[in-house]
Amino acid sequence: MKKGLLIAGIVVFVLVIVGWYIRTGNKIVRLDEGVAEKWAQVENVYQRRADLIPNLVATVKGYAEHESSTLTDVIEARSKATSVTVDPDKLNSSSLRQFEEAQGNLSSALSRLMVVIERYPDLKANQNFSELQAQLEGTENRIAVERRNFNDAAREYNTYIRQFPASIVASSRGFEKKAYFEAQAGSEKAPEVKF
Amino acid sequence: MKRIFLIITFLVAAISSFASDIFSPPSVPTLVADNAQVFTDNQRMALANKLSALSRETTTQILVYTTTDLQDYTIADFGQRLGEGWGVGQNGFDNGIVIVYKPKTDSTSGEVTIQTGYGIEPLIPDATCMRIIEREMIPNFRQGLVYEGIVDAVDACASLVQGEFSADNYSGTGEDEDVSVGSIIFFIVCFFLGYVLYAAYGQFTVGRRPSFFSYLWFVLSLIGHSSGGGSSGSSRGFGGYGGGHFGGGGASGRW
Repeated sequence: MKKGLLIAGIVVFVLVIVGWYIRTGNKIVRLDEGVAEKWAQVENVYQRRADLIPNLVATVKGYAEHESSTLTDVIEARSKATSVTVDPDKLNSSSLRQFEEAQGNLSSALSRLMVVIERYPDLKANQNFSELQAQLEGTENRIAVERRNFNDAAREYNTYIRQFPASIVASSRGFEKKAYFEAQAGSEKAPEVKF
Repeated sequence: MKRIFLIITFLVAAISSFASDIFSPPSVPTLVADNAQVFTDNQRMALANKLSALSRETTTQILVYTTTDLQDYTIADFGQRLGEGWGVGQNGFDNGIVIVYKPKTDSTSGEVTIQTGYGIEPLIPDATCMRIIEREMIPNFRQGLVYEGIVDAVDACASLVQGEFSADNYSGTGEDEDVSVGSIIFFIVCFFLGYVLYAAYGQFTVGRRPSFFSYLWFVLSLIGHSSGGGSSGSSRGFGGYGGGHFGGGGASGRW
């Protein structure tokens, strides 16, 4: 009788461990998927910005022919930015920095263009342009939001996989820490796009 | 020592109450939060009725929020955080709209934003939001007609989302926890672990092992007890927010 209980106890213990291992592993997978999903959203909104640029450049060109060098800068920065993509499974700090650098170059080329545009009141009065401006502004807000959401998801994932005892499961199944977007001065808040 | 403990408790309470700030939903849900007091009582009530009716009939929720202090956020950012934090619109549809109004003062310009939930973005694109702001809102606001400007914008938004969402095709599915193999195993393990304890306890008190069926009966009665309490939602005019999400879409304007 006693022996039976002991065996039952051992079986239960092993089952508890196995059950816990599976549950913890599944939770990590779920968090990992969450990070990948948020990353997809980040790339989405940056792509959305890139998609607006050809239209913007075409509109500006009609009014500001003399600014071709600024426009060329924007076009080049755009093509560089769209060529850098990051596989969500390899979200380490170097790949993320590369991504940020390319997008940051596009941001600064765009803001130089916006400064130049100040000199063209006709362009600013153009209906098509003001719609593009609204879309670009909304897209900058979306970028800020999705970066924040991504950071939140990555932080939740990182905290979970580094805590004992989940860290055992994470390291045995090869889950690695994800990188964050760095909060540059003011980047936690959406930049103001002014024309 | 006790005093230090009290001070620490007080500080922690003060900090946490500060942290659970304007972006966490109010205890009494409302669709008109007139913190800047720009509406008369009648206007506020009429607007609240209009927005509650819209929420009831179409599940689309529009939150009108006025404030004199944006707490150093840009107005668009403020609106997005508000919508996401309060959960305006339905989870799954993400059909919430937030209108934030900051009145003009002597030293600062007036500001307004329309923030659209993810589900509203295709129906009211940013450029349309901008047009609503420029045509319906700012001309009214310049003349001091705050209520008229807001109502016109609400009507414009409501007509654009007309017929898109309805209570009938709303399932309200959030993130269902799917029943995985792991949790089934976990349940079975708990069940048998419980039996071992139950049997040991029976042997200790009564002197003989209780049958498996008496254990089964015991577990079932426990489950019966715990699932007894139902939920009773209170409704005060407006049923509450639905947990909609916002991605920063929309437009802002100033005058």
